[in-house]
Amino acid sequence: METRSTQLLKGTLDMCLLATIAQRPCYGYEMVQQLAQQGLDLVSEGSIYPLLSRLQQHGYIEGYLVASRDGPKRKYYRLLPAGAKQLEKWQAEWETFVPAVERILKGARSDA
Amino acid sequence: MHKADQQTQQQISDLVEACAGYWELRGIARASSHEMQLELEQHLQQAVCDGKSFEAVLGPNPLAFAEAWAREMRPQVFRGGVALRGLVYVLSIVSTTALLSQLLGHSPAFTFTLFAAYLLTGSGLLALLLQLGGFLAPRVRTRAGREALVLACVVLAVLVLRLAGLQVNWNMALLSWSWPMTIVLLTLAAFLFALDCWRSSQGEHTSTASASWPALRSVVTFVANVGVYDIMLFFGSVVVLDFCRLALRLV
Repeated sequence: METRSTQLLKGTLDMCLLATIAQRPCYGYEMVQQLAQQGLDLVSEGSIYPLLSRLQQHGYIEGYLVASRDGPKRKYYRLLPAGAKQLEKWQAEWETFVPAVERILKGARSDA
Repeated sequence: MHKADQQTQQQISDLVEACAGYWELRGIARASSHEMQLELEQHLQQAVCDGKSFEAVLGPNPLAFAEAWAREMRPQVFRGGVALRGLVYVLSIVSTTALLSQLLGHSPAFTFTLFAAYLLTGSGLLALLLQLGGFLAPRVRTRAGREALVLACVVLAVLVLRLAGLQVNWNMALLSWSWPMTIVLLTLAAFLFALDCWRSSQGEHTSTASASWPALRSVVTFVANVGVYDIMLFFGSVVVLDFCRLALRLV
């Protein structure tokens, strides 16, 4: 059964990926490492790829191949203007959502 | 960082190949599929080097992972890739078999028997199972082990059918048609193949690299596949028939 944190992460992973790519272009495994460094451990790391494809289909990001010295080309992702706009929108939604949940939780704690 | 051992490397290749086969069945454009394979292979290799399991990357069900990714690669209007691709292959194999037997046998008509249908379905399923057997890589480590498991399932299914007392007349004619119908079927197969190629090319926009001569490569691969299948079906039918006769004598 999925834990609460897994469910929460599922609902926000696309936003986290977009924010990660907004910092600098990176490839799939790099994104997973960056998320882990921030404290977000994915249950299945591969779940980022369908989301990256979706973000690409929506025109928020684009993939490009970069030649590698010690192996085949690697696919990097970079943010597009539409993605930057969408990220701003999602951030605004998040900033409204989180305080609302916090108020409810704090209310529950003070009642108890 | 340590390098993955040969067996793990083989498991990674098999998993990636199984995903690629599944994506091909789902009608993902070849160039996109190549990039997906590249990303997955590099991710798995890095994960293994960092001491992670395959499950940490793909989750408990690699097939579900492949499906989830395929779903995001396909716009809604292009659903039904498997059905179209399957229909193209079946029509092509049946029509070319009919053409060859009419040409070689100087026969005005072609009869599609129950045995041919059984062989076509059985070998198609076996090819599919062997291809998708790579999804078992996290559980069954060696390729030989996975192939043995798939073949054991097929043998078991045949035995179950036999023990169930399924007595059928393998020479029973299911369909019979003459030259004009063979030509119509061939034309239909060519039309559907062209449609499938066009449909695949519509998915290319998500890929960053365009393959050189993608259409020519698709045609060559398809013709080679159908040719090999026809040859296998022809020789296979002789061998399988002899084997069945021998088995029936022994049972």
